[in-house]
Amino acid sequence: MNRLCDSMEPKVMDDDMLKLAVGEQGPQEEAGQLAKQEGILFKDVLSLQLDFRNILRIDNLWQFENLRKLQLDNNIIEKIEGLENLTHLVWLDLSFNNIETIEGLDTLVNLEDLSLFNNRISKIDSLDALIKLQVLSLGNNQIDNMMNIVYLRRFKCLRTLSLSGNPISEAEDYKMFICAYLPDLVYLDFRRIDDHTKELAEAKHQYSIDELKHRENLMQVRLQDERARQEELEKHKTAFVEHLNGSFLFDSMYAEDSEGNKLSYLPGVSELLEAYKDKFVIICVNIFEYGLKQQEKRKIELDTFSECVHEAIQENQEQGKCKIAQFEEKHLSSLSAIQEESELPNIEKMILECSADVSELFNELMMLEMQLVEQLEETINMFERNIVDMVGLFIENVQSLMAQCRDLENHHHEKLLEISISTLEKIVKGDLDEDLPDDLRALFVDKDTIVNAVGASHDIHLLKIDNREDELVTRINSWCTRLVDKIHKDEIMRNRKRVKEINQYIDHMQSELDNLEYSDILD
Amino acid sequence: MEVLREKVEEEEEAEREEAAERAEWARTEKMMRPVEVRKEETTLTQEMLRDLEKKLSEIQIPISAELPAFTKDTIDISKLPVSYKTNTPKEEHLLQVADNFSRQYSHLCPDRVPLFLHPLNECEVPKFVSTTLRPTLMPYPELYNWDSCAQFVSDFLTMVPLPDPLKPPSHLYSSTTVLNYQKGNCFDFSTLLCSMLIGSGYDAYCVNGYGSLDLCHMDLTREVCPLTVKPKETVQKEEKVLPKKYTIRPPRDLCSRFEQEQEVKKQQEIRAQEKKQLREEEERLMEAEKAKPDALHGLRVHSWVLVLSGKREVPENFFIDAFTGHSYSTQDERFLGIESLWNHKNYWINMQDCWNCCKDLIFDLGDPVRWEYMLLGTDKSQLSLTEEDDSGINDEDDVENLGKEDEDKSFDMPHSWVEQIEISPEAFETRCPNGKKVIQYKRAKLEKWAPYLNSNGLVSRLTTYEDLECTNILEIKEWYQNREDMLELKHINKTTDLKTDYFKPGHPQALRVHSYKSMQPEMDRVIEFYEMARVDGLIKREETARTMTEYYQGRPDFLSYRHANFRPRVKKLALSSAESNPRPIVKITEQFFRNPAKPAEEDVAERVFLLAEERIQLRYHCRDDHITASKREFLRRTEVDSKGNKIIMTPDMCISFEVEPMEHTKKLLYQYEAMMHLKREEKLSRHQVWESELEVLEILKLREEEEAAHALTISIYDTKRNEKSKEYREAMERVMHEEHLRQVETQLDYLAPFLAQLPPGEKLTRWQAVRLKDECLSDFKQRLINKANLIQARFEKETQELQKKQQWYQENQVTLTPEDEDLYLSYCSQAMFRIRILEQRLNRHKELAPLKYLALEEKLYKDPRLGELQKIFA
Repeated sequence: MNRLCDSMEPKVMDDDMLKLAVGEQGPQEEAGQLAKQEGILFKDVLSLQLDFRNILRIDNLWQFENLRKLQLDNNIIEKIEGLENLTHLVWLDLSFNNIETIEGLDTLVNLEDLSLFNNRISKIDSLDALIKLQVLSLGNNQIDNMMNIVYLRRFKCLRTLSLSGNPISEAEDYKMFICAYLPDLVYLDFRRIDDHTKELAEAKHQYSIDELKHRENLMQVRLQDERARQEELEKHKTAFVEHLNGSFLFDSMYAEDSEGNKLSYLPGVSELLEAYKDKFVIICVNIFEYGLKQQEKRKIELDTFSECVHEAIQENQEQGKCKIAQFEEKHLSSLSAIQEESELPNIEKMILECSADVSELFNELMMLEMQLVEQLEETINMFERNIVDMVGLFIENVQSLMAQCRDLENHHHEKLLEISISTLEKIVKGDLDEDLPDDLRALFVDKDTIVNAVGASHDIHLLKIDNREDELVTRINSWCTRLVDKIHKDEIMRNRKRVKEINQYIDHMQSELDNLEYSDILD
Repeated sequence: MEVLREKVEEEEEAEREEAAERAEWARTEKMMRPVEVRKEETTLTQEMLRDLEKKLSEIQIPISAELPAFTKDTIDISKLPVSYKTNTPKEEHLLQVADNFSRQYSHLCPDRVPLFLHPLNECEVPKFVSTTLRPTLMPYPELYNWDSCAQFVSDFLTMVPLPDPLKPPSHLYSSTTVLNYQKGNCFDFSTLLCSMLIGSGYDAYCVNGYGSLDLCHMDLTREVCPLTVKPKETVQKEEKVLPKKYTIRPPRDLCSRFEQEQEVKKQQEIRAQEKKQLREEEERLMEAEKAKPDALHGLRVHSWVLVLSGKREVPENFFIDAFTGHSYSTQDERFLGIESLWNHKNYWINMQDCWNCCKDLIFDLGDPVRWEYMLLGTDKSQLSLTEEDDSGINDEDDVENLGKEDEDKSFDMPHSWVEQIEISPEAFETRCPNGKKVIQYKRAKLEKWAPYLNSNGLVSRLTTYEDLECTNILEIKEWYQNREDMLELKHINKTTDLKTDYFKPGHPQALRVHSYKSMQPEMDRVIEFYEMARVDGLIKREETARTMTEYYQGRPDFLSYRHANFRPRVKKLALSSAESNPRPIVKITEQFFRNPAKPAEEDVAERVFLLAEERIQLRYHCRDDHITASKREFLRRTEVDSKGNKIIMTPDMCISFEVEPMEHTKKLLYQYEAMMHLKREEKLSRHQVWESELEVLEILKLREEEEAAHALTISIYDTKRNEKSKEYREAMERVMHEEHLRQVETQLDYLAPFLAQLPPGEKLTRWQAVRLKDECLSDFKQRLINKANLIQARFEKETQELQKKQQWYQENQVTLTPEDEDLYLSYCSQAMFRIRILEQRLNRHKELAPLKYLALEEKLYKDPRLGELQKIFA
C-alpha cells in the first residue's frame, strides 16, 4: 500500500492541534459561543477525532482523562503509545496506520471497540487487559498464524471480529476454524455467522477443541485451588495464627539446626523426637484454633459496633433532614410573603425574622451533631476498651500456650542431654554397640563439645519459638491500634464533614436572604 | 329379670294410660311444658296459660299470612316413588320400636312433650325422622364446606313458619319435595341441610328444640348485617428489639416528670369522661333496639342443625340455623332448649336441664345419663365415665335402661326412604326461588339476585340505613358479576354523594377504582389503576377543579409523582370545545425515585416548572451521608443586552446550591445545556399533562358508554348461555353432518350391483374382472346417454309447446284481451327461461359426461377388488 502521506511532512500532535480539533468538534451554535467564551478543558472532552492529519507519534493526550472515543485513523502512526492515561476509553480507532505490534493498551480496561484495520500487525497479543472487548477489527494485516485465534478465546464478550485481508484468511479452513474456536462470535468479517455454519465448524474441530477445553478447565481448576489456598492463608493471617495448624513451626525449628539433626541419630533420640513433635504440634493446633475463635469474636464485636454506629448516624441524619424540611417549608412561605410585602420597614422586619430562623436552624443542627458526637465518643471508647481487653486476653493465652511449648523444649533438651552424656560415657568406655555417623561421632570428643552442641540446638529452638510469639503479639497489637485509630479518625472526619455541610447550607441560606435584601433595596 | 317384669308392667300401665294422657296433653299442652325450659313457667297457673293461649290464637302472625301456604294439597304425589307411599317391613318394625320407645318415655317423663319421632310425609305415611335424612354429597365443590352449604340452603328455600309455633309439625316432607317446591319450615330446612352436611362428612344432627322469636321467624332485623361488619384490624405488636451492645445512649431527658404525670392524669380524666358519654349513648341505643319481650319465650318450637367436633377438622361444637345459614356457638342465648336430636343412624333425647338455654348442655351423645338413645349399636360408643357426675344422675336411673331389653340389639336404622337429593345446575346457579331474595338486617337490607338475572349483571345490593326504621339511606353497595367492563362493586355514599366503582383486573383502561361525584370532567375524582397493566406505570390520578396529581410506580425514568396546577380557562371568542382549549398550566411538579445508577448529586429528586414565571427549580437527591440536598434554579427569561444581542446565558440565570461544589457545574456551557434539556423536558411534561386530561375525558366517555351498554361476558365454558359458541357448535354439527353425507355418497359402490351377480367371497379372475369393468362402464355410459336424452326430450317438449302457443297467439292476436296478452307474454318469458336452462343443462351434461366417464374408469381401475386388471395392465 503506497500512501500519499508517506511523502508528506509528518505533523506533531501539539497543543494547538488538539485545541483546534476540540474547538471544531465541540458544541455548536449558541452553546459553541459559550464554549468559546469559557474555553473547553481537555479533561471534559468525551470524544476526539484526529484523522487524516499525518500524525506520526501519539502524544500530548494525557490531559484527556475522560475521553470515551478516540479516532486516530488514517495517519502514519507506527507505535501505539501515550494512551496510558485514557482509562475511560471505550472506542479506539487506529485503522490505516503503520502499526506493527499491538502494545501500550494495558491500561485501557474499559475498551470495547478496537479497530486496527489496515496496519502491519503480524501477531495478536498484548490485549489481555481488555476484558470488555466486544468488537475487534484486524483486517488487512499480516497475521499468518491460525493459532492467534486461540488467543482470542479469553475475551468472553467478543462478538465481532474481522480478519479478512490477512494471510490466514486465504486458508480454506479459515472460517470454520474461527467459528469452532470462538463459539460466542456473532459476526465474522462483518457477516453474521449462521447456526448451520457453527454446527458444521463445531463438528469439524470437535476433538481439538475438546482437548483445548480440557486443558483450559485444568488451568481453571488449578487457579481456583490456588486462590482458595491463598484465601485460607489470608484468613489465618487476619487471625494472626498462620502456619500454626501443623508442624510448620516445629519443622522450622529444626531447619537451621544442624546439631539437632545430627543428634537425632543417637540411639533413642528419634523416638524422643517423635513424641516431642506430637506434643508440640498439639499445642500449636491449640493456639491455631484458639486464634480463629478469637478472630471470630473480634469480628462479631466489630460488626455490632459498626452496625450500631451506622444506625445512630442514620437516625441522626433523619432528624436533621426532618428539621431542614420543616425549615424549608417555613422559609419558602416567608420568602413569598416578603415578596408580596410592599412596605420597606415590614420587609426589613420579616427579613430579620427569616435570618433569625436560619440561625435557629443552624443551632438546632449543630446541637444534633454535637449530641451525636458525644454519644459516639462514648460508644467508641467503650468499644476501644473492649477490643483492647479482648486482644490482651488473647495475647495472654497465647503466651501461656507458648510457654508450654518452651517447657516441652526444655524437657526435650534435658532428655537429649542425658542421652548424649550417657552415649559419651559409653563411647569413652568403648562399649557402644551401634555405629554412629562420622560427623555425629565427631561431636563426642569430650563433654564440653557435646553439651555445647546440645545447648546450641536448644537455643535455636527457643529462639524460633520466641520469634513466632513476638511476631504474633506485635502484629495483633498493631492491628488493634490501627483499628482504633481508624475509628477515631473516621469519626472526626465525619464530624468535620457534617459541620462543613451545615455551615455551607446556612451560608447559602443567609446569602440568599442578603441578596433579597439588596434587590429589595435596589427596587 | 325382676327389672324386666317391672318394665313390662310399666309398659302395660303406660299403654293403658296412654289414651287418657294423650287427651290431657292435647288439652293442656302448654302446661306440661318442661320445667327446665323456663323456671318462671312453673309459677303460671293453668288458667293463665289457657288465657294466654286464647289470646295468642287470636293474634295472627303477619308473616305467615303473607306467605303462600305450603300444604299437601299443592303437592303432586302421583309421581313420587313407592318408597314414599308405603313402609317396608323394616320400617314398620322401626315404627313399632319407636312407638314403644315413645310410650315408655311418656310414662317415665310424663311432664315432657311427646317425642317428634315419626311425622307423616307428603303421602300421609308415617316415617321415622332419621330415615327422612338422606346423606348426600353434592357434586358441586362449592357445597363441600358447611358454611357455603348452609348459605345455599338458606338461599335456596323460602321460609314458611310452622303452622303451630308451639308444636312440631305433623308433617315432615322429604327433601326432594322441599327442593322441588323451594319452600319449607324449619324442620325441612334443617333436614335438608343435615342431609347435605352428613353427606360431606360432618358429624351433623337435626335438633328439635326451642328458639327465640327472631330465630323462629327468620327475623334478622335485630342483627347486624355480616357484610357491614368491618374486619377488625389486627394491630401488629411491635417487637421490642433488644438494645445491642453498642447502641448509643439516648440524650438525657430534661423534662419534668411531675409535669408529665399531671398531663397524663388530665388526659385520662378527659378520656374517661368521653368514654362514659359514649357508653351512655350506646346504652340508650341498645335500649331502643331491644326487642319487646316475647310472651311465648321458650315455648316456640324450632329446628336447627348441630355439628359436633371431631370430623372434618371441626374444632368445636356449634349450631347452624338453617334459616339464615349462620353459625352460632352452642352458648348462644337464642337457642333456648333441646328436646331431641337425630341423625341418619339414631335418635337421642336430651335428659339435661335447659333452664339456662343450651349453655350448660354437654354434647356427649355416648353418655346415656345425659342423652337417652333409641337404638343400640350406634357409632357413639358408651362413655366410660371417669368423672362421676352425680348431679346428672338423680332419679333417672330407671330411665337409663328404658326399653333396651326388648329391642333387637343388632337392629339398625333402615335405609332412607327419600330419593337421592338432586339439585340441577340451573337451580344451583339460580339459588334463590325465582333468583331473588331480600334479607332485612338491622339498619340494612340485603338483596340477592342470581347471576345473569339482571341485564346489568347486578347480583346483590346492600342498602345501609341510618335509622332502625330503614327510611334514611346511608349508603348503597352493589355487587356485579360477569360484567364486560369488569365492574365488581359500586359503592354510593348517600351522605357525601360520593360514588366509588371498583373493577376487577381486565378493564380496557386498566381501571381499579374510580371514585367521583359527577361524571363531568375537571371535577373532584380519584382514579386508581392496575399499574402493571399500564405502560406508563400510573397508579393513581387525583383530580380537583384546579389540580391534577398522578402517582407512578416502576417507570424506567423513575418518575413517581406529577402534580399540575391549572388556571381557569381563558374564554376565547371563538367557542371551542374543551379539547382544543386546554386550561393553561401554572405549575408542574414532578418527583422522582432515586436512580441507583446515578450519583445522588446528579439525580434529580424533584423538579418544578413554574410556567408562568418561566422558572425551573430542581432539587436533587440527598446523598447517603448528607442531610442537605443540592438545589438549582433556572430563570429562563431570554433577554437582550444593551447592544441588542441576545443573551445566551449569564451566571445569574442559574442559581445553584451544591452540597459538594463541583468544578464542571460552574461552567456556563454545562448550565446552558442543562437548561436546554429542561426546556425540552418541560415541553414534554406539559404534553403529558395535556394527554392525561385527554385520557380522563376518554375514560369518562368509555365509562358512560359501558354504563349504558352494560354488556355481560359469558364464559366460553358456559355452553348454555354462550350464544356464539352455541351457534358455532351447531354450525360444526351441521358441517359434520354434511361431511358425513358426502362421505356416504362418495362411498357409493358402483360395482355393488355387478358384484352381486357373482358368487360372493371369491377372488375374481381376470376375465371376470374385465367383464365386470366393461359392464359397469357400459352401464354408466347408458345412464349418461339416458340422462342426455331425458334433458333433450324435455327441451324439445318445451320448445314445441312454446311454438304451439306462439302459433295460437298469432292466430288469435286480434281477439285477445290485454289480460290474455299479458298472460301470454309472461308465459313466453317463463318458457324461454326454462328452455334456456334446459339448454344450459344439456350443454353442461355434454361437457361433463366424458369427464365423468373417464373418472369412473380411473376409479374402477384403481379399485382393489378389480386388482386383476391392474396386474395385467401393469
